[in-house]
Amino acid sequence: MSVGQSPLRHDAAAKTDGSIEYAGDTVPAGALQAVVVFSGRAHARMLLMSTDSALAVPGVVDIITAADAPVNEYGLTMRDQPALVGVDHTGAAAVDAAVSRWEADQIAVVIAETRAAATAGAAAIEVEWEDLPLVDNIDAALAPKAPLVHPENGLDTNAYHHLRIRKGDPDFGFALAYAVIDEVYEVPHQEHAYLQPEAGTAYIDNEGRVTIEIGGQWTSEDREQVAHVLGLPEDRVRIIYKAIGGAFGGKEDMSIQIALGLAAMRLAERGEHRPIHCRWSREESIVGHHKRHRGRIRIRLGATHDGTITALEADVDLDAGAYNYTSNKVLGNAHVSVAGAYRIPHARIDSRAIYTTTVPGGAFRGFGGPQGHFAIESAVNRLAAELGIDPVEMRLRNALVDGDDGITQTVMPEGVSMREVITACSLQAELDEALPDPEPFSPIASLPSATTSLRRGRGFAAGFKNIGFSFGFPERCEAEIVLNGNPNDETPTSAELFHGGAEVGQGAHLAMRQMASDATGVSLDDVHGHFSDTATSGDPGSASASRLTFMAGNSILGAAEEAEKAWREGDRPARGFFRYTPPPTEALDPETGTGAPNFCYGYMAQCIEVTVDVDTGHIRVDRVTSTHDVGKAINPALVRGQIEGAVVQAHGYAISEDLQLADGFITNPRFSSYLIPGIGDIPLQVDSQILEFADPLGPFGARGVAEMPFITYTPALTAAVHDATGLWFNTFPLTPSRVLGGLQAAEE
Amino acid sequence: MEYAAPTTVDEARTLLADNPGSRVFAGATDVVPQMRSGRPEPSVLIDLKLIDRLMSVTHDNGHWTIGAAMPTSELTSNGEFTSVFPGISEGAGWIGSDQIQNRSSLGGNLCNGSPAADSVPAMIASEARAVIAGTDGERTIPVADVVTGPGQLSLADGEFVVEFEIDDPPANTGDAYIRMTPRTEMDIAIVGAAVRVTMNGDTCTDARVVLGAVAPTAVRVPDAEAALIGSSLDEAALAEVTAAASAAANPINDKRGTIEYRVQVAGVLAKRAAVLAAERARA
Repeated sequence: MSVGQSPLRHDAAAKTDGSIEYAGDTVPAGALQAVVVFSGRAHARMLLMSTDSALAVPGVVDIITAADAPVNEYGLTMRDQPALVGVDHTGAAAVDAAVSRWEADQIAVVIAETRAAATAGAAAIEVEWEDLPLVDNIDAALAPKAPLVHPENGLDTNAYHHLRIRKGDPDFGFALAYAVIDEVYEVPHQEHAYLQPEAGTAYIDNEGRVTIEIGGQWTSEDREQVAHVLGLPEDRVRIIYKAIGGAFGGKEDMSIQIALGLAAMRLAERGEHRPIHCRWSREESIVGHHKRHRGRIRIRLGATHDGTITALEADVDLDAGAYNYTSNKVLGNAHVSVAGAYRIPHARIDSRAIYTTTVPGGAFRGFGGPQGHFAIESAVNRLAAELGIDPVEMRLRNALVDGDDGITQTVMPEGVSMREVITACSLQAELDEALPDPEPFSPIASLPSATTSLRRGRGFAAGFKNIGFSFGFPERCEAEIVLNGNPNDETPTSAELFHGGAEVGQGAHLAMRQMASDATGVSLDDVHGHFSDTATSGDPGSASASRLTFMAGNSILGAAEEAEKAWREGDRPARGFFRYTPPPTEALDPETGTGAPNFCYGYMAQCIEVTVDVDTGHIRVDRVTSTHDVGKAINPALVRGQIEGAVVQAHGYAISEDLQLADGFITNPRFSSYLIPGIGDIPLQVDSQILEFADPLGPFGARGVAEMPFITYTPALTAAVHDATGLWFNTFPLTPSRVLGGLQAAEE
Repeated sequence: MEYAAPTTVDEARTLLADNPGSRVFAGATDVVPQMRSGRPEPSVLIDLKLIDRLMSVTHDNGHWTIGAAMPTSELTSNGEFTSVFPGISEGAGWIGSDQIQNRSSLGGNLCNGSPAADSVPAMIASEARAVIAGTDGERTIPVADVVTGPGQLSLADGEFVVEFEIDDPPANTGDAYIRMTPRTEMDIAIVGAAVRVTMNGDTCTDARVVLGAVAPTAVRVPDAEAALIGSSLDEAALAEVTAAASAAANPINDKRGTIEYRVQVAGVLAKRAAVLAAERARA
């Protein structure tokens, strides 16, 4: 048995010694270099663009502009974005392709012998713009007579996507309440800050396909979007994933893929067949790709004297930025998760995605869950404090159980383990024991050796996250397994697994091989993976939504069964292909929000202990207890890796990461001023508590874990800071300035 | 842009004089990022690291001489220096990362002209002097007089810092430098505080209080020094130090910290540095 063990990752040695091939390392000899030119305009109409001077720059080979895009529109879930903004585009596009709607709208791709020449060429492009009014935050976007960012969609508002939940009678519910809290929560942007900025190489392969070697999250979807703009059938485009330095949702949407694809196609037509390489700098990456949505959530929550929740009202506004990316889907998750994993008899929820002329919001670990949970979990903690009820008790009183309807008025998928997870976390965190006295913060120089200014506290939060795509999306995952052996062999000697599922650093490929090993009976060492090449593997769906273990596992189990059938029939090698489809989900009713949005959830709870220096506002996290029902840990070491990694990433979100915008421009697109946590900042101790309540649909019982430890971190942290200082923070990051400012304001 | 690597101070002096728009550097940990962010390239980049005098540390005749280009990691790993000037060593130890400190230097940290330079406040607290070479020979001025504003130096064209001199401190003297950064490391101070005190039993007989990152240059705080001298660093004296340091802070608002924050924390850090320096002075 391999499942449940933690064998060494097959890519560990090569990642450690540096020999593994990342898309940014593998530049073929003689490759041309491409620079993607950003508009540098938050909102403006292009009047004129001339590439004459740029083409005259020594070393510049060619320049791709909007005129080169057969279809000048794209988007992962809505095609509302021009591939290249330009005045001379002739390709079909529903969106006005002459308008730049954020600073990193792409206007040209300069291809040159060297990156320096391409950069010089980019600087020589001449553009005339007519500035359009800025719409650089959601208040500006929602103001009466606000300029419309996307007038072509026919709406009279920038709030282009609106979801509703109407359940019971909220007025009645609030009338039943003994206490009601009414708060506005603000959530900030977050940058993915993956180790490796976007990089890739494009060429025409020996079967004539436009081929892009890159890192990403969903091969088939990348191919679909590139093929759409190139005006090619999908089978004329090939996507190959190389090793990747992290993704976290930030590589689910297009960045340089279309630019590279257009360049390779057009240059080949003009007789230039050298491969084309593009690699973004850190600044280009931070400016050029989407962010976790900032937004504002107003929440009203009422409960009876004993803590039973009676009613909820919530208004969720997310800043979608210039283009949809996956905002409509992220909004859906925020919409559902703002009700928490609780029984709520009466509810009204209105959620809106709002266009602005700023960096798009999009997929990022948690996908709307962190925003929704920050609001509901903060509200629950606050209400519990107001009622004088222990926050764990408050949650146990209201947690969903099997057979309950969720907030969308359909029965929760079987396997609701919220209560078990809350209880396990509270026990593991030893909540019945008082916190010991604070210790000095040494060796951090900014902090005191005396302890008089230190306050300790702890906070709790719990929640859930869907596994797999939601709201009626045709969810699927394909696998192929080939069993090798001689005609007389009773059992196969080796197995080949063909799978598109993306390795994004989480160890998915090892987990897939482990599941294939158990499914075929072939030892792990003899299961050979062939991954993430659209020429050899089917549609895996994305490495996102905490879905890959669940979906790939089920596809592998199906393919193994098919292959074994063929084996028993005497095929050598024996091939099995399987397309797994989970139970269908439903889009929510546009008026009432009724529907079954998801087929599986993972449940989590976290307890965080902090020490706060009330003289400087500095917060240290002493201990995190992170409890997760993963159904089955296919590889426990990888599960712990996900938990610890997500906790650290969430810590940055909660404490220090502060993306700053001025007039629609990101003003700190570098790691010297956008502060991700260093080793001295992260929690001192993370207790990963892995629970295994098998999911009825999961492969080997597995659910998912990738996003869950991120989602509840911020509300647990703010509750701990409240416990330490008596202050509630409705926004973050909890930088020293914000914390000390809050303490001073409370004193006055 | 050309690169030159002289091996003597005279050679460097001549290169600098003969090439308008040239610039000296040591570890290049500021120069290279500045060029990358679009500052004009110097005509000649003059590397000072091959000049022995700028790369050595000596202790004799009652004072220390520290080469301006010597990597700060050599200073922080110098046990004798660190035991005498723990505050200066601490300040140097907060510059960038370990890797950066293998290149960064006291001269570079000072002459970059940043108000947030970590090694500068403690040098001023120990009344360090800078030996400056120029076309007309050498002159020696207090480190406190080198920087006149953000990125602005009192050095004339053709001048550069060769070395620093610091006198041995009196007996029962201790110094300390602490700073506040939003991130605990690999970050730039939003407040820095260096304090040096000399103790006679429980009584402070001499004190220097210097703040970094809260004014256009590092600043001494005479009122805080006066509050310390003659006191036993009792609660009342420390409260005066806190108030004086906050009053002396005249910071900017920026991405890292608000004006209100920097003013408040300048007082907190001055107090904490004073307590730490006194502990060391008594040890």
